[in-house]
Amino acid sequence: MSRQPTPPHPMATEDHVLVIQNLDKHFDGLPIMRGVDLAIRRGERHAVLGPNGAGKSTLFNLISGAYPPSAGVITLNGRPIQGLAPERINRMGLARSFQITNIFSRLSAFENIRMGVMARHGVLFDLFSRIQAKHRINEESRALLDRVRLGHRAETAAADLTYSEQRALEIGMTLATSPEVILLDEPTAGMSREETFYIVELIRDVTKGKTLLVVEHDMSVVFSLCDRISVLVYGQILATGTPDEIRANREVQEAYLGEEAA
Amino acid sequence: MSVYRLIFGTLAAVLLVALPPTLGLGWQNTLTDVLIASLFAAAFNLLMGQGGMLSFGHAAYYGLGAFAVLHLMGAIENGFPFPTPLLPLAGGLAGLIAGLGAGYFATQRTGVYFSLVTLALAEMPHALAPHWKGAFGGESGLSSMRMPSMGFSFGSSLEVYYVTLAWVVACIALLYAYTHTPFGRLTLALRDNEQRVRFMGYNAHATKTLVFGISAMFSGVAGGLLAMSSETANYSIFSTQVSAQVVLHTIVGGSGLFFGPIIGASVLTLFTFLMSEMTRSWLLYQGIIFTLVMLYAPSGIGSIIQAHIVQRSRLPWGRLVLPYTLSAIGILLAAAAIVFVVQMSEHIFSQSYRAMIERTGAWEPVVLFSVSWQPLSPATWIPPLIAFAAGFLLLTRLRGTIARLWHEDRRDPDPSVVPAHGTA
Amino acid sequence: MEFFITSILNGAIYGMLLFMVSAGLTLIFGMMGVLNFAHASFYMLGAYFAYTLSGLFNFWIGLLVAPLLVGIIGVVIERFMLRRVHRHGHAHQLLLTFGLTFICEELVKLFYGDFPVNYQMPAELNFAAFTLFGINYPFYRVFIGLVAVAMFTALFFLLTRTRIGIIVRGAERLPKMAEALGHNVPLVSMGVFGTGAALAGLAGAVAGAFFPTNPNMAMELGVIVFVVVVVGGLGSLGGSLVASLLIGIFTSLAIGFDWSPADLLAPLGLDGWAHGIGGPLSLTLSSISGTVPFVLMLIVLLVRPAGLMGSKT
Repeated sequence: MSRQPTPPHPMATEDHVLVIQNLDKHFDGLPIMRGVDLAIRRGERHAVLGPNGAGKSTLFNLISGAYPPSAGVITLNGRPIQGLAPERINRMGLARSFQITNIFSRLSAFENIRMGVMARHGVLFDLFSRIQAKHRINEESRALLDRVRLGHRAETAAADLTYSEQRALEIGMTLATSPEVILLDEPTAGMSREETFYIVELIRDVTKGKTLLVVEHDMSVVFSLCDRISVLVYGQILATGTPDEIRANREVQEAYLGEEAA
Repeated sequence: MSVYRLIFGTLAAVLLVALPPTLGLGWQNTLTDVLIASLFAAAFNLLMGQGGMLSFGHAAYYGLGAFAVLHLMGAIENGFPFPTPLLPLAGGLAGLIAGLGAGYFATQRTGVYFSLVTLALAEMPHALAPHWKGAFGGESGLSSMRMPSMGFSFGSSLEVYYVTLAWVVACIALLYAYTHTPFGRLTLALRDNEQRVRFMGYNAHATKTLVFGISAMFSGVAGGLLAMSSETANYSIFSTQVSAQVVLHTIVGGSGLFFGPIIGASVLTLFTFLMSEMTRSWLLYQGIIFTLVMLYAPSGIGSIIQAHIVQRSRLPWGRLVLPYTLSAIGILLAAAAIVFVVQMSEHIFSQSYRAMIERTGAWEPVVLFSVSWQPLSPATWIPPLIAFAAGFLLLTRLRGTIARLWHEDRRDPDPSVVPAHGTA
Repeated sequence: MEFFITSILNGAIYGMLLFMVSAGLTLIFGMMGVLNFAHASFYMLGAYFAYTLSGLFNFWIGLLVAPLLVGIIGVVIERFMLRRVHRHGHAHQLLLTFGLTFICEELVKLFYGDFPVNYQMPAELNFAAFTLFGINYPFYRVFIGLVAVAMFTALFFLLTRTRIGIIVRGAERLPKMAEALGHNVPLVSMGVFGTGAALAGLAGAVAGAFFPTNPNMAMELGVIVFVVVVVGGLGSLGGSLVASLLIGIFTSLAIGFDWSPADLLAPLGLDGWAHGIGGPLSLTLSSISGTVPFVLMLIVLLVRPAGLMGSKT
């Protein structure tokens, strides 16, 4: 964790809720992040694209606190969060979903969501209330469950949900802690066209008024959902811009989209 | 389900309260032991079944609870004003403090590493206590006497039984209430996915430490109850055997169910009491039962009972009667064969029998179940062999039939597998 | 001085013995992820089988056949029991081996009695190897060491130089991959488990003739073996060897030291006072030498779970 004051990033203004500067990460000498600079605007929907192995999940892990960077600074609302524990970062207003569904398999869908809502209400070590009596928490959980369109599956064990229901639950759990900044890691992975459409609509709905950073492979999702795109290749940001700008960018075409277009 | 719970609960309550005065001392003591073992198992399962952490050293907190109470009893003997029925509080306190301390370190690791840490932590008092006269009474341990209090003398087993009953019922009620608190639900989530719990804003390590501490606290109460009833304890209370027993009880009863460990502890403690009167090999039978449960009923006996209750409206009872009866026969045959072989072996491999062979050179017939058996004759060994084979074949064949009858409604779970929902 | 040298020698040999038992455990854990609680029981069974066989035939037949019998038992356990509960996870398998330990110990008590049996070394091995400070050093102790060294060498060559060894090591790291490459991983599992068991059985057969052979052998040795395997690094044979020697030598030495933490205060003249207080201050190293392996295991587990030479997974 760097304690020296870093010079303000050219892109950092008060309008930027999440700023990443010179982010480096090595694993046993193998560089994965090589100086990533990224500034996410408040309220935007920002996609991170890149070929496999570019380091997208690593980026998410670094931002959300799974492990500390080798160098660089990440700030959330101006406060540095690099190297902090995931629970602290979460409480500061950032939440993430996982590429491989990471739910509480033996609990019901309702309880999965409620875990997050409980945390948001600061109910961390409550040994003396009845959970049934926590009306605000229960109602909020119910409402969120309905918002991710799983209300009818409230009592089903999470392990018994269908794959796309689990992905929806995954998103719901990410939202349960009422984060300001939401990181979604390949939310539509492994889905059919109908399921993808459904999830995208869900995402569009539930992230209104929030800042969204999403890793995606599905181009149609990215182009329809996102305001800006950053392309990550070999641990570096190749380009950042609107979908049209990115589509027109030569370097990006060669490095990534080119393979798709061809 | 709640009507059954009410009926069963009332029946159990009546039996537990009204029956003991009519029983002999031996039974009263045994029931006290059953209660203590049940509490210990329920406390253990808080950590294992609900928290997902398998501890191999829970005897440490049980033992520390016992010693704490013995010290307090000694103080009361010397005039310290403290009501005798509240003695187990000292056990709970000792368990809590030790548990929080031990848990802080142990919960920094997971899986088999966690289990090994708990094992090592329990071995420390086990190795230290025989040499530490002041705290643990050295090799002979500590002894004390229950002092009269609140109008009762606490001299009789019956009084001890009722105090134990009150404590155990209260503690189990608290443990049950725990599962309905927010922290109790968090415990379940922790078991399922610790990583996600962290990313939701919880401090997983602090949470795990607290769960460990609470589990150790109630284990300490159980140990305290033991000290109160037997009025003595020594370093052997810290042994791996004691840690192993509680694991055995919990698994046999079923760790996925709140009442599973209680069922396991009760059944096995009663079983031990009955068996130990009749044979020296009762530990062997316990080991065999445990192994069989691990192999064929991995979710425990309690879980099988629960599955039957939960699915009672759906099961084709009419058609299950025959396979179940035949299975029972199969189990009886196999069990009888095993018991026969073990008991015969117990006789002919005993020191006295061996000595007799040396002296007379003859293998005297052994009387077992009122029949006389010639140890060297095939007529002795062939029947159990046939019985076992028959029982085994019967069971293997019927397993498929029973499974099919259970699965008639397609997706429903196999009775020997963990139910899909969390505890309670 | 003579105590020192004798202790180190004895300790090294005890360490070799620990290694013979822990080698199998390390292999099994590395390969199957199961911490086999029943491993020390294999050790005990080896001793008892060798005792019976040496009574019926002679010592050497016992030494040869007992490990084979134990190995077969190991194979049966893996094939018909462990594999059955494999799908329920490692904790379940661990608990199963736990139950098997119970049964083993009780069966031994049933057939042989709850007291030590008179398993003795053969006359031809009962002589002094050399004299150390005027006391005859029994050759049998050296024999134990020799068997252990032979075992380690054989194992080392088997694992590093033969095809089977390579397959085992591959299956240990990436079982699915090894299976995809056409190797019969279940067969390898059975083989590893059986071999591990046989090694423990050999250790028992050899040691039982010198050290007491009683139904508590498994429990006594069992926990120490875990310590060895953890300290050395779960899955590392080299680590097990180093840890075994360390613990063996240390335990041997510690027994002779009667000093206690209170003695440390002697230069300040406070040792009398400290001894008077009693409690942990006056505990001598010799009396708590039993705890030291566990303290060591705790430290390793909390500071560096990979152990001395294990891999950092």
